[in-house]
Amino acid sequence: MTASLPWILWLAANLALLLSTRNPIYLLLNLTGLFLTGNMLAQKRTQTSWVQQNLRFLLTMILLSTLINTLFSHTGATVLFSLPETWPLVGGDITLESMVYGAINGVIIGALYLTFNILNLALSIKQIIRLIPRAFYPAAMIVTVALTFFPSIQERAREIKEAQMIRGSKMKKVTDWLPILIPLLVTSLERAFLLSESMTSRGFHAHQESRHSRLAIVGLTLAAFCIFSGWVFTMYDYPKWVTFCLFGVGGSFFLILLILLGRQTRVTHFHQESWHIKDILGTVLFSSSLIVFIALRLSNQLESLSYSPYMALSPPTFQWGCLLFCASSLFPIFLKSND
Amino acid sequence: MIKIDSLTFQYPQTSQPALKNISLEIPSGSLTLVTGPTGSGKSTFLRCLNGLVPHFSGGTITGELQIFGHDPISEGTETISARVGFVFQEPEAQFLFDVVEDEIVFSLENAGMPREQMHVRVNQAIRQMGLEGIRNRNIHEISGGEKQKLAIASALVNLPDMLVLDEPTSQLDPASAKDLMTYITRLKRDLGLTVVVSEHRLERLLPFVDFIAYLTPDHTLHFGTPQEVLPEMAQVPPLIKIAKEMKITPLPLRVDDFPEYEYPAILREKGFPKSAPKQAQNPVLEINKLSASLGKQQVLDQVDLQLYPGEVLTLVGTNGAGKTTLLRSILGLIPSDGERYLLGEKMGAMDLENIIHQIGYLPQNPNDLLFAETVLDELQFTLKNHQKSMSDEALTVFLSKFGLAEMQNRYPRDLSVGERQRTALAAITVHKPGILLLDEPTRGMDYNAKRKLTNLLRDWRTKGKSILLVTHDVEFAAGLADRVLIIEHGKVRFTGSPGAAFSEFPGFETQTARLFPHSGWITAEDCLSQLKSEINLSKSPDQQS
Amino acid sequence: MKHHYGSNLINLLVFILGFLSLVAPFVLPQARSQLSSGASFPIMVSLILVLCLVIILLEIQTSSLDSKMIAFLGMLIAINAGLRFLENAIPGPAGFSPVFFLIILTGYFFGSQIGFLTGAMTMFVSGLITGGVGTWLPGQMITAGWVGQSAALISWLVKNLKLQGKTGEIILLAAFGAGWGLLYGVVMNLWFWPYLASNTSQSWVQGAAFIENVQHYSAYYLATSVVWDITRAVANVLMMSLMARPVLKILARFKNRFRFTHSAGRNL
Repeated sequence: MTASLPWILWLAANLALLLSTRNPIYLLLNLTGLFLTGNMLAQKRTQTSWVQQNLRFLLTMILLSTLINTLFSHTGATVLFSLPETWPLVGGDITLESMVYGAINGVIIGALYLTFNILNLALSIKQIIRLIPRAFYPAAMIVTVALTFFPSIQERAREIKEAQMIRGSKMKKVTDWLPILIPLLVTSLERAFLLSESMTSRGFHAHQESRHSRLAIVGLTLAAFCIFSGWVFTMYDYPKWVTFCLFGVGGSFFLILLILLGRQTRVTHFHQESWHIKDILGTVLFSSSLIVFIALRLSNQLESLSYSPYMALSPPTFQWGCLLFCASSLFPIFLKSND
Repeated sequence: MIKIDSLTFQYPQTSQPALKNISLEIPSGSLTLVTGPTGSGKSTFLRCLNGLVPHFSGGTITGELQIFGHDPISEGTETISARVGFVFQEPEAQFLFDVVEDEIVFSLENAGMPREQMHVRVNQAIRQMGLEGIRNRNIHEISGGEKQKLAIASALVNLPDMLVLDEPTSQLDPASAKDLMTYITRLKRDLGLTVVVSEHRLERLLPFVDFIAYLTPDHTLHFGTPQEVLPEMAQVPPLIKIAKEMKITPLPLRVDDFPEYEYPAILREKGFPKSAPKQAQNPVLEINKLSASLGKQQVLDQVDLQLYPGEVLTLVGTNGAGKTTLLRSILGLIPSDGERYLLGEKMGAMDLENIIHQIGYLPQNPNDLLFAETVLDELQFTLKNHQKSMSDEALTVFLSKFGLAEMQNRYPRDLSVGERQRTALAAITVHKPGILLLDEPTRGMDYNAKRKLTNLLRDWRTKGKSILLVTHDVEFAAGLADRVLIIEHGKVRFTGSPGAAFSEFPGFETQTARLFPHSGWITAEDCLSQLKSEINLSKSPDQQS
Repeated sequence: MKHHYGSNLINLLVFILGFLSLVAPFVLPQARSQLSSGASFPIMVSLILVLCLVIILLEIQTSSLDSKMIAFLGMLIAINAGLRFLENAIPGPAGFSPVFFLIILTGYFFGSQIGFLTGAMTMFVSGLITGGVGTWLPGQMITAGWVGQSAALISWLVKNLKLQGKTGEIILLAAFGAGWGLLYGVVMNLWFWPYLASNTSQSWVQGAAFIENVQHYSAYYLATSVVWDITRAVANVLMMSLMARPVLKILARFKNRFRFTHSAGRNL
């Protein structure tokens, strides 16, 4: 599975799951799937220690989160020991429930991080840049320039460092960076000027300000406020249809305006992503998974998703259907392209 | 057809115009060489042709300019950029992407061209410049010559009427330069492209040129055929210089056009001078069987080198032969096998600090060294690093040798290219090292600046310093070298006298050597001084040809 | 750089939006009731942030970006991203980040919009290079963007106090760097903290909730990142005082050449 769309859908499906549940069974299952998928991709790129590195990160995350939650939250039925109440903030009961809650938080954060990390492994940098919407073409150009010149700037920095070393400069204090930074800065900016001449000579047009773009941006701001208010209203328990409206109107307005702005740039693309059977399979699989999941969730069919260790620790419930959703994190392994 | 009438241009916030009253007419399908000393306005003139001046640079412009029926001044860069392709001097600075194909296609993507049409144009451009083999390669990995061809291909996809090139061969070695010019001439012939090229090293271009536009330092322009303009020019390649002295008309533009030369009897009898290799004292620098690799690739293979006091040893080779790697290995910056000795001591065991007391190193880009507020500060920085000190007065005296005494308090970045290089040279020699390493010091320099550098190096040599000069500019090397080392693919191909090196190895022959084979002459001065002295001696009248 | 009233208004609105999202955890205890079902609260915050980022970027694009600026920023960001690599490679104290001083100087010299872009894009590009594109990237981008954007205020201060070229200028910049060194940590933790926030299912009294939240947050901050932030502040001060003057000089040389110009016509 090499095309970007199926992977984006996989990301969305996994995110939707991770953000909807605190059930440790589901989370652990999902995590396992993530590690398996990540390992497969890392092997392709000959990064052998990926699993170890990320396992370490995950455990650190869980530890940190557990610690924080235990120290600052004092609710829960099973008290392990107590710190004197007079101690600011940390004073109070240290409970098992808050430890578990903290650990679950850590798992979620780690899983979120892993999901994005896997996306980075799956897609090349070029694919990621291609995903940037057309409305941001100039900003994407900046990214392209920076990425193209990053290696040559490093190379140049090395040359400058060597030349200054031969001149006797010892690289000990921070001030010793100055003889490297200044020539590097000047040379790079001179090059930038040449580069911009080269771009202009080849027909790169700058965006000209127009009344349309101004209006579009004002529209986008309003749409953003719509979405924001929708969110606030959910928290104040306004009727669902109001929040739906706000989200829907705000969201679609935003997307439409973005697309319109993108049309201002008449840029075409030479390279087409090549799609295989596995890409089509992946797209179908993950998009349907996403839709079904959201539908079930909204109709409150999936109670086992929400889980809370408070007040007293109790084992989590599970539904077989949910297990399937959780395991979707490892489906890419079956869609692995052979090359 | 390009018509220019009374063009005058001044950059913003400058006191003098960069171009004054330029008028000329360039016929379609011709190749015009734009030349002149540094600062005469060549780059500015070229940028007028595609609208970068004045639209990109700002400034004030007057006069009439017609490029194939368009007026860049009123129309702006967008329309003109489709008609005029521009290739810049520094290959790397003009590329946005890291894959060859992506770069070529950039202007078409910007124009919103449909995909099928893009394919046609891209394939055509790749074929025209011979880039099929490297189509999907990473731009950082291809050679300098290939990079410039890529730059041309990126311009060709627009099907332009004209190609403008700003010193395209300045960073290339002689072989790649010749290859590039062959392609350009072919484009001119097959596509009817009008080509305007600026260049310092005229010898590379003269064989291909239809017209010359010569810009003088006082901003006047001489335009015409080579035969018309060359006599007016102060700095000309050896071929022309010799032909002028020998009063050969019409001036031959290539070596093959030079008439058969009958060496005067006296020379045939007495034999020709050859520079003798230096007497063997103890070498200051000795390298035995040096091998080095960069990553997995072996770059140097069993290189032997000796550098003696008071000599200039020139290292020549094509780009990529390993010359810079050799310098870095000598200094210990990269690991290497083999023995290195500095004044008899093993360098592997020495601290970098001790090594650099004896050695000054000028990198390929002298700007890499300049970072201080004033020229004096640059010198003080080096002195401080070596724990030495000199009074300001002593430094002023030191600087006057470089012609920089009046500029000692100026910001180095404000100086001209030649002045900046001399500042860098001063900064690396202020601690009076005995050995000097110079890496390609003549990039982008006109004849004047090269002459100043030659004098400076000769001056050092007489004082007993040793100089290791790395370059692919054989004309420059020929004027200076006591001994030559030719490197090819990391191996030493030849060590010996310049006379042999620059006349017997294809790719490294100087123009003079090709004109007068078996003579041992490698520079125009060799030839002319010999001729004059021998002519006077023999008082033979048969030299007035 | 041109500034319309319209663009200032938009900037203000967006800033308000972003700010409100940031402080929501303190001010809206109702958010708590969501937490048992998942982590959707912080994701909404991230989403709103992304929206703000989109708007700001579009605004800057249309008014300040031409090919010169694109090339200029591309190079600057490549250098800055390289510095960020050094941050990981140098065995210095944790938090020593050489990235910010260039962002501040660019914002100081070229204006708020370019400053914002420098900060935001540095984070994006170094994220791409290190493979660290993640949920906190929008937060990093906006915060680093704010660093650059607010640096323009210093320029206004310096002009009015007529401190150009004097030590006072450097002192102001260094103090600014120190301030943001700490503030960056504070703001970044605000994005991160809701993920870790504790909850109870008790109901809250409005007034008490706010203070308690702030206390919780301060404790969290002190426990985790204050060391990082102090090092960062120190790093900024160090780099600024040592390198600002020469770098500013260089930026000044290039300022005219990189100025956004419209097509010139015939004149003289």
